[in-house]
Amino acid sequence: MKQLNEITTPFSEVAATATLPGAGLNWLTQLRQQAKAQFDRQGLPAKKVEDWKYTSLWALSQQTFSHTASETSLDTAQVNQVAALENAYRLVIIDGQFNAALSQLDGLEDGLTIASIAESFAQVESVIGQQVEIDKPGLTALNTMLMQDGVYVHVAAGQKIAKPIEVLVISTAENADLASHLRHVIQIDAGAQATVVEHYVSLAETKGFSNVVSEVQLAENATLNHFKLQHESMGQFHIATLAAKQAAGSVWNTNNISLGSKLARNDIHTQLLGEGAHVTMDGLYLVEADQHVDNHTRIDHAVANTTSDEVYKGVLDGNSHAVFNGKVIVHKDAQKTDSSQSNKNLLLSRSCEVDSKPELEIYADDVKCAHGSTVGQIDEQHLFFLRARGLDEVAARSLLTYAFAVDVLQRIKDEPIRQALSNVIEKRLPKGA
Amino acid sequence: MTDQSQQLESITQREYKAGFVTDIEADSLPPGLNEDVIREISRIKGEPEFMLEYRLKAYRHWLTMDTPEWAHVHYPPIDYQEISYYSAPKKKDDGPKSLDEVDPELLKTYEKLGVPLDERARLAGVAVDAVFDSVSVANTFQDKLAEEGIIFMPISKALKEHPDLVEKYLGSVVPYKDNFYAALNSAVFSDGSFVYIPKGVRCPMELSTYFRINAANTGQFERTLIIADDDSYVSYLEGCTAPMRDENQLHAAVVELVAMDRAEIKYSTVQNWYPGDENGKGGIYNFVTKRAACRGVSSKVSWTQVETGSAITWKYPSVVLQGDNSVGEFYSVAVTNNMQQADTGTKMIHLGKNTSSTIISKGISAGRSQNAYRGLVRVGPNAENARNYTECDSLLMGDKCGAHTFPYIEVKNPTAKVEHEASTSKISEDQLFYCKQRGLDAEDAVSMIVNGFCKQVIRELPMEFAVEAQNLLGLSLEGSVG
Repeated sequence: MKQLNEITTPFSEVAATATLPGAGLNWLTQLRQQAKAQFDRQGLPAKKVEDWKYTSLWALSQQTFSHTASETSLDTAQVNQVAALENAYRLVIIDGQFNAALSQLDGLEDGLTIASIAESFAQVESVIGQQVEIDKPGLTALNTMLMQDGVYVHVAAGQKIAKPIEVLVISTAENADLASHLRHVIQIDAGAQATVVEHYVSLAETKGFSNVVSEVQLAENATLNHFKLQHESMGQFHIATLAAKQAAGSVWNTNNISLGSKLARNDIHTQLLGEGAHVTMDGLYLVEADQHVDNHTRIDHAVANTTSDEVYKGVLDGNSHAVFNGKVIVHKDAQKTDSSQSNKNLLLSRSCEVDSKPELEIYADDVKCAHGSTVGQIDEQHLFFLRARGLDEVAARSLLTYAFAVDVLQRIKDEPIRQALSNVIEKRLPKGA
Repeated sequence: MTDQSQQLESITQREYKAGFVTDIEADSLPPGLNEDVIREISRIKGEPEFMLEYRLKAYRHWLTMDTPEWAHVHYPPIDYQEISYYSAPKKKDDGPKSLDEVDPELLKTYEKLGVPLDERARLAGVAVDAVFDSVSVANTFQDKLAEEGIIFMPISKALKEHPDLVEKYLGSVVPYKDNFYAALNSAVFSDGSFVYIPKGVRCPMELSTYFRINAANTGQFERTLIIADDDSYVSYLEGCTAPMRDENQLHAAVVELVAMDRAEIKYSTVQNWYPGDENGKGGIYNFVTKRAACRGVSSKVSWTQVETGSAITWKYPSVVLQGDNSVGEFYSVAVTNNMQQADTGTKMIHLGKNTSSTIISKGISAGRSQNAYRGLVRVGPNAENARNYTECDSLLMGDKCGAHTFPYIEVKNPTAKVEHEASTSKISEDQLFYCKQRGLDAEDAVSMIVNGFCKQVIRELPMEFAVEAQNLLGLSLEGSVG
C-alpha cells in the first residue's frame, strides 16, 4: 500500500501512552490495538491511492499536533452565539472533550439518549466499528486507535423525536494545534425518527486537526435527518468519515455543508441493506483562497427496491480546489434500483480547480440510474438580464451565485434548520468576482 | 423465462461468423523477447538505424514498467516470453506486384470477410492496405493517391522511403514511455499504416485497412501514423475480424494522429475480433493506445468506433487539443456479450483556446459481460472558453452483466463549460411486446431498439461501415434480453 512514510506527529506513540476512555473494556482495547496495527502498517494514504488522487495529506503529515487540551473558559453566552439552533437539545464538545455544563440535555423526550461517547462505550459495543472499515486506507484506523470523545445518540423503537439535536464541536484559541479524534454513534431503532445536526466551528484561527468518524445505524423504517455544518478556521484540517447501514424501509436524509478548513475531506458512505431503504445525500461546498475540499460519497444498493438521490453543488473562488467523487454501486440482484446523482460546480475565479468524478457500477439490469456533472461559470446572459434590471455587477453576481447554491438548501424540509443553514451560507457568499 | 427471452437467448448463442484459420506458411521468430529479437525484427525489415535505437530505448524502458491494473478488467497474467514477436506470410522473391501474385489463400480470406480488394474495391472507392498478420501484402489505388501527393503505405515501407517523416512524427503523440503496452509496441511493432496528406489536399477516397491476426500465438503489434498537413482532410477506416482460436492472443497497437492547421482527420473503427466462447475461453486481448494531437489552429479529429469483439478491450482513443479552436470528437458503441470485458472511453485534453470536444458513448452489456466507460476531460489553465459535452448511456441486457461509468473531469479554467451526463437502462419486456405486437419478430425488435440506442454513433460512420456496423450490432447482441 502506498503511504506517506514520514509523519511528524507520533500518533502511534500517543496511542501507546495516552490515557484513553474505556480502558477497562476488553473489546475496546482489542479494537484499538487492531486499529493501531493497521495504522502502523498503512499510515496516511498518499496520492498514489486512487481515492486520494487529488488530495494530498503531505501538509498534514508534516505538522505537529498536540493531543492534550488545556482547560478553556467559555460561557453559555459564547456558546449560544455560535450554536446553529436555538430550540434544540445541545451536546457541546470543546477542544475534543464533552462539556456537560455548557450542554443542554435536560428534559430529554422518552426513548431518547444523548450522551458523551466516552461515558457510553459500555453500551455501544454492538454498534461501534460496525459501519466503518478500519482496513480502508484512510483515517478510520487513526480515529479508532485514538478516539477520545463524541456523541452517542440512541432513539428507542417507535419514538419520534420532535426537537432537533445539535452536536456542537468547538475549537478554541487555547488549543490551536490540537488533534481531536471524535467518534459519533447514532442509532435509530425500528420506526423511530430523529434530527441531528453536527456542527463544527472554530472560535479563533486554529491550526488543528479534526478527525471525525460518525457511524449511523438505521433499523427498519427508521428515519434520520442528518445535517453537517462545517465552518472551522482556514488553518484547520478537517477529515470526516460518515458511514451508515440502513435496514428495510429506513430513510437517511443527509446534508453536508462545507465552508471552512484549509483542507476538508468527507467520506460519506451508506449501504442500503433492506428493501425500500432510501437515502438523500446532498452537499454544498463554498471555498475560497487556498481552501481544498474533497467529498467522496458512496452508495451501495445491496438489495432490490432501494432508492438514492444525490445533489452536490460547489462554488469555488480564489485559488481553491474542489474534488467530488460519487460512487453508486448497484449490486447483483439489486433490481428496481432507482438512483440519481448530480454534481454541479460554479467557478468564480481564474485560478480555482475542480475535479469531478461521478461513478456508476451496475451489476443488475432492471435499474434506473443516472448521473450528471457540470462545471461552468456565471452565465453572461443571466448577468445581463439582471444588469438590465438595474442591479450592479457585484449584486448581480452575488444573487446568481446564491441562486446556484440555494438549490441544495431548498431540498431541506425542516424550516428552522433550513433558515439556520441559509443564514450561515449567506454570510459566506462571495460578494462578486 | 418468458417465451421471447428464450427466443432471444438462442440468437445470442450463435457462432462467430468470421472464425476460420487460413493455412499459409509463415516466417516466425521463435517465442520470446529480448534485445536480440528486437535487433532481428529491425534487421528483417531493413530499418534505418534510428528506428532500431528507438525500439531498444522503448524495450529498456518497458522492462522497468509494471502491467497496468487500474482498469475494470480481470485476466490471468500474460507471459511475454511465450509470444512470438514476428510473423510474416512467406514471400516470393520481391513480393507481389499485382493481385495475381498474391497468395490465393489470402485472397480467399479477404473474400470471406468481404474486403473489396479487387475490382469491387475500385467501384467502392476504397483503397485497402491489407495487413495480414504483420506484413502488408497488397496495396491498391497507390497510383491514384500518388497523383495527389498522398502517401499511404505500410509503415515498414515508409521507414525506407520517407524516413524523415516517420522519424519526425513517430512517438510524438504517444511517446514510448506513455504506458506499458505503448512501450511494448514501440519495441516490437511489426507493421501498420502510414498516411501523409500534404497541405491543402482533400483525400479523394476513404482510406481503409483490414487488420487480421492469423498465425497462432503471434501477438500483433500494429503501428499506425497519420499526418494531415495544413488544410487537408482524410477519412481513415479500420476494420478487424479474427479467426477462431483457443489461446488468448494479445494485440497491443498504437495509433498516432497529427492534425496541423485547419486539417481534419476522421478515424473510424469497426472491431470484431474473436471474443472467446460463451465460457470466456479464448478471445483476443485488445490493449490499444490511440491518440490524436490537434496541433494546428482549427484542426479537428473525430474518432468513431464500434467495438463488438475481443475478450478484453482496453482502449481510450484520445485527443490533445493544442491548437486554438481545435475540435475533438469521440463516438463509441461498445458491445459486450458472454464473458467479454471492455474498459473503454476517451480523453479530451483541452490546452488551446476555444477548444471544444464532444463525447458520445453507448455501452451495451449482455450475458455475463462487464462494460465500463472510463473517460477524462481535462481543461488546462490556459484553455479559455473550452467546451465539453459528454453523454454516456448504458443498456443492460440480462441480470448477470455489468455496466460501469468512470468519468474524470478536471477543470482549471473558470471559462470552461463542461457537462457530463450518464444514464443506464434496459430493454424492457414492454418495449419488446410493443414491437412484436406490431408484427416484428423478437430478433428484429431487439435489433431495432439497439440500433436506435446507437444511432447517434452509427450515423457518424462512413456509409460502407455503417451498414457493416449495423449488421454487427445485430449479430453480437440479439437475444440478450433475459
